[in-house]
Amino acid sequence: MPTLDDLRHIIRRIESARPPRPAAEPVERVLGGDIVETGAGSILMVRHEYPLAHAVGRHSLEAAFELLPEHLAVIARVGEAPPDPARLLFLDAETTGLAGGTGTYAFLVGVGRIESDRFVVSQYFMRDLDEEPALLAALTPLLEQAAGLVTFNGTAFDLPLLETRFVLGRRRWTPALAHVDLLWPSRRVWLTALPDCRLATLERHVLGIVRGDDVPGALIPMLYFEYLRTRRSQPLARVLTHNRDDVLALVGLLGWFGRALRGGARLTAHELLGLGRLWEACDIERSLAYYRQALATGLSGMAALWTSLRLAAWEKRRERWETACALWENAATCDIFDPRPWEELAKFHEHRARDFMAAQRIVMTALDRARAATAPRRVIDELTYRLGRLDRRLSAARRRPLEADVPL
Amino acid sequence: MLGAILDDLLISKTTGPCITASRHFPARDAIYEPFPASLNPRLADALRARGIEQLYSHQANVWALVEAGRNVVVVTPTASGKTLCYNLPVLQSLIDAPDARVLYLFPTKALAQDQLAELEQIAKQLPELRMFTYDGDTPQDARRAVRARANLVLTNPDMLHSGILPHHTKWAGLFQNLRFVIIDELHAYRGVFGSHVANLVRRLRRICRHYGSTPQFIMASATIANPGELASRLIGAPVAEVRQSGAPSGEKIFLCYNPPVVNPELGIRAPYLGEATKIALKFLREKIATIVFAQSRLATEVMLTAIRSGVADKTGDAGMIRGYRGGYLPTRRRAVEQGLREGAVLGVVSTNALELGVDIGSLDAAVLAGYPGTIASLWQQAGRAGRRVGSSAAVMVANSSPLDQFMVTHPDYLFGMPPEQARVNPDNPFILVNHLKCAVFELPIADGERFGEVDVRQHLAALEDEGLLHHAGAHFHWASETYPADHVSLRTVTTDNFLVIDTTSRDEKQTKRRQIVAEVDWSSAFATIYPKAIYLIESEPYEVQELHFREDEEKVAYVKRVAVDYFTDAVSARGVWILRRLADREHAAYVVDQGEVLVAEKVVGFKKIKMGTLENVGSGQVELPQQEMQTTSAWLTLPPQTLARVSQSREELIDALRGIAYLLHHLAPFFLLCDVRDLGAWLGDTTPVESGVVATRESTRRRLLEAERFNPTVYLYDSHAGGIGLAERIFEVFPDLLLRGLETIEGCPCRAGCPSCVGPVNEVGRRAKATAAALLKLLTA
Repeated sequence: MPTLDDLRHIIRRIESARPPRPAAEPVERVLGGDIVETGAGSILMVRHEYPLAHAVGRHSLEAAFELLPEHLAVIARVGEAPPDPARLLFLDAETTGLAGGTGTYAFLVGVGRIESDRFVVSQYFMRDLDEEPALLAALTPLLEQAAGLVTFNGTAFDLPLLETRFVLGRRRWTPALAHVDLLWPSRRVWLTALPDCRLATLERHVLGIVRGDDVPGALIPMLYFEYLRTRRSQPLARVLTHNRDDVLALVGLLGWFGRALRGGARLTAHELLGLGRLWEACDIERSLAYYRQALATGLSGMAALWTSLRLAAWEKRRERWETACALWENAATCDIFDPRPWEELAKFHEHRARDFMAAQRIVMTALDRARAATAPRRVIDELTYRLGRLDRRLSAARRRPLEADVPL
Repeated sequence: MLGAILDDLLISKTTGPCITASRHFPARDAIYEPFPASLNPRLADALRARGIEQLYSHQANVWALVEAGRNVVVVTPTASGKTLCYNLPVLQSLIDAPDARVLYLFPTKALAQDQLAELEQIAKQLPELRMFTYDGDTPQDARRAVRARANLVLTNPDMLHSGILPHHTKWAGLFQNLRFVIIDELHAYRGVFGSHVANLVRRLRRICRHYGSTPQFIMASATIANPGELASRLIGAPVAEVRQSGAPSGEKIFLCYNPPVVNPELGIRAPYLGEATKIALKFLREKIATIVFAQSRLATEVMLTAIRSGVADKTGDAGMIRGYRGGYLPTRRRAVEQGLREGAVLGVVSTNALELGVDIGSLDAAVLAGYPGTIASLWQQAGRAGRRVGSSAAVMVANSSPLDQFMVTHPDYLFGMPPEQARVNPDNPFILVNHLKCAVFELPIADGERFGEVDVRQHLAALEDEGLLHHAGAHFHWASETYPADHVSLRTVTTDNFLVIDTTSRDEKQTKRRQIVAEVDWSSAFATIYPKAIYLIESEPYEVQELHFREDEEKVAYVKRVAVDYFTDAVSARGVWILRRLADREHAAYVVDQGEVLVAEKVVGFKKIKMGTLENVGSGQVELPQQEMQTTSAWLTLPPQTLARVSQSREELIDALRGIAYLLHHLAPFFLLCDVRDLGAWLGDTTPVESGVVATRESTRRRLLEAERFNPTVYLYDSHAGGIGLAERIFEVFPDLLLRGLETIEGCPCRAGCPSCVGPVNEVGRRAKATAAALLKLLTA
């Protein structure tokens, strides 16, 4: 009777048995590229060059480099001096996992930048885990020469991970580099319009790119570990393509923002709303203009409600009551019941116009709608409380006929 | 005043005969040393500002040893100025070197908070100190600031394990300049937990080497038998020991109290909780600051209720008496601690939660309701009472359990026993491999590099075979998507806590608002918050209405405030069954096996007990799932012919085997370098698991007596789910273990059983020692 451990050994041997196969070919022959010497060991570099007119989905690469400084400042959330677009470094890393911490490697880093009149993507691939010093050595001059970095979710993922690798490799990390994380403006713009804000989703819906045989990101670490064990690099070809396409998509996405902010693109109502949200952080007038335009272009549902309330709040702050009331009324007639516009209207009529009857009418309608929409108890309680107070005010006013009878 | 009460206790007709022993510990004068010449004048000024003009001798000793570059462990009694021993060199280093960094490790978050508060007092004069706690309670957005700013970080082993070491690059500033590592409450790191911490220190020292620092370790421990040995095992380096306290202490009286026999025919004694309450009240009514230690959370609440009503009778102020135990929300605990320090709280009833170093100042009297289980705890709890000048008292009130009865009737044993040994085994392969994985994750391991002192080439090769590591460039690299620290828990307790929510509470506007009133950890939830249980929080009764424990549910107990005059006590049952036999060895007179077992525990019902009189006023059934754990075990089976050669009486044999189970359970840790808590022992039978039903001790005994086939089996199992190799080791050393057992019985001077051999006589019976000796003689022949 074999012990459990014996069985485990047997099963492991059964599982790992493979028919004989030819030896693996060198990586550079399978994946292309050259072995380059870095001063800290050698590494595989795969280089792709594109003319600036090269199309990423519906548009070409060049829009990204025509960005106005003030627009780049909005996207990058930097103050006065945004980096020169022509000296941006577009970066995307493929890693051995999402866990973070010092045990996660960036085994493939793709960087794109302009070299004279071409856009060049260089991919640095670690043929084994001990090639990390070479990878870091290759990246160092690129990072030093760049005016800024462009990533997608780099704030939370790529950059801290690379920083960890640099510290671990006893190299200086350049934290002062300006960083444009496109996830942030993308969330502002497409939060309500798209089901999620993953790069692949944006590519498909915004840039019109459909990747053919893209490798799912979740599989990438496993493919790399498999390569380390077997030395067969063919399956990694798809990973390199994926990484290169990600870098190109970064350029495409930045270009989209450039065109949209210049007014050079046809935008949907949701995108207009999104640009309003984007501007809100630095220029409220432009933001409000986009909100108005979005409403005029035909927003509906939650988005319309949100925009009307947002606009109305600013109008209220400026005491432009007529415009504010119109917006609240607009929000109140929305299909979805929300107590806020009703409350604002009631407050306006009660405290500012001092038209208790009008206020009472509004609260009564609101109560009906709240009940019909089975609003939470708290909402109904608050409306009822307000109604009670209005009733008392009205009856008090009736007891003082002199005041009430005077025609205004 | 204290003296008068003690005199009264000793000579009064009712209590006098119950005092089975009294010991007088004379006052000890302080041994002072002047501030060392090397002490920074600003630090000296800061100390003077707090009224410290000179050092106690042990503080000066530690200073000198640290200055000589040694790692140090200091072992001195409670309230002897132990923390200053390590704070002094730390503060000096931070004042002298602006870049220096220091790491403090405490077993709990609360203790770290406590120490932070103390340091902040001193820091008022020393602006270069920037200290922060870094643990599970540190908000995410504050963590970056702590990493960047702190030069003194207070944390716990769990956080170091999963939050700091795997992200050491973010802490590069700390590790490059780490001057000291402080480990307080060292005695808590024993057994399997200690073995984990020893490996954690291996990882810590490895990361420090990478950044070019070699920190010195300063440690502090409560009294245990082998602090120096434990310390050097934990940090993997030689450690100097400082044991002689220079702190003064006032005289102390220690009394042992055995409750009076109230029913001579049945030998029933008065309930010990009531007796302890009476004694505590004698102190409290005279405004003597008193701490009462209870052996369980329930006992804490029961005594608190009684003491409060007793004090209210006399002084009309029950709020002066507070409760303290695990499960209370942190704010409540902090309030009690502060109240005790400042004197607003006169008395506290606590579980062993206040046994650790939480700063509550000094009290005048300690009442121990029940023997705390270990000699080390006994002195730790008694030490909570004791002023530097003036006298103090400790009274241990025995309960009716055999262990307590033994202790209270054998005071020479109680006062003469050295405190327990603390053992760790950092090289346990199960524990070591887990930490080795974490170590590779943190930093690739070079070929030929040792982990601590261990040659790990084979371990690394095995991990590479498993596909977790990858060898490249003369290093082993982590080659998995997983985060290994997540798969290693340093403690057996799960973090899954139950929230206790009061559904009847109201806010200031009198609207109903559910409120969290306590937290209960998973392991004790089923015994304390089962439906219909009365759950007491600072003696306020709540009745449990629902307990949500299913996997997909949030772990919550809904309770409502009730007015009842009883509390409930759970009745639980246990069982151990063989799942798979992996190895067996047949000896001349017995068979020992090793394999996988199922250990089950279940709360089957509860008793209702009336407050005050503690009489049993009813019972109830509970429908709760059985808590099951699969683990590894070694077990001893004795063929009928062996048993028959020793005795014909099943009863006698069962008693003897119970004694042997107790004996082996307490001896095995010597061989395994673990703690008694890391093992479980059970006398059962070989009923197949399919028909296994949990049973109380009594029903198991009955079943063994009545069974057709008499097949008693002694199980010694690993209390860690899945097992961490303890059972395999027991299996290996079994013959030696039996031999040592026989030696122990034969060398034990007791007549018919005591806690040092087969267990207290009134638990195992009068014949157990002799029968057990006869059995062991036969087995080891």
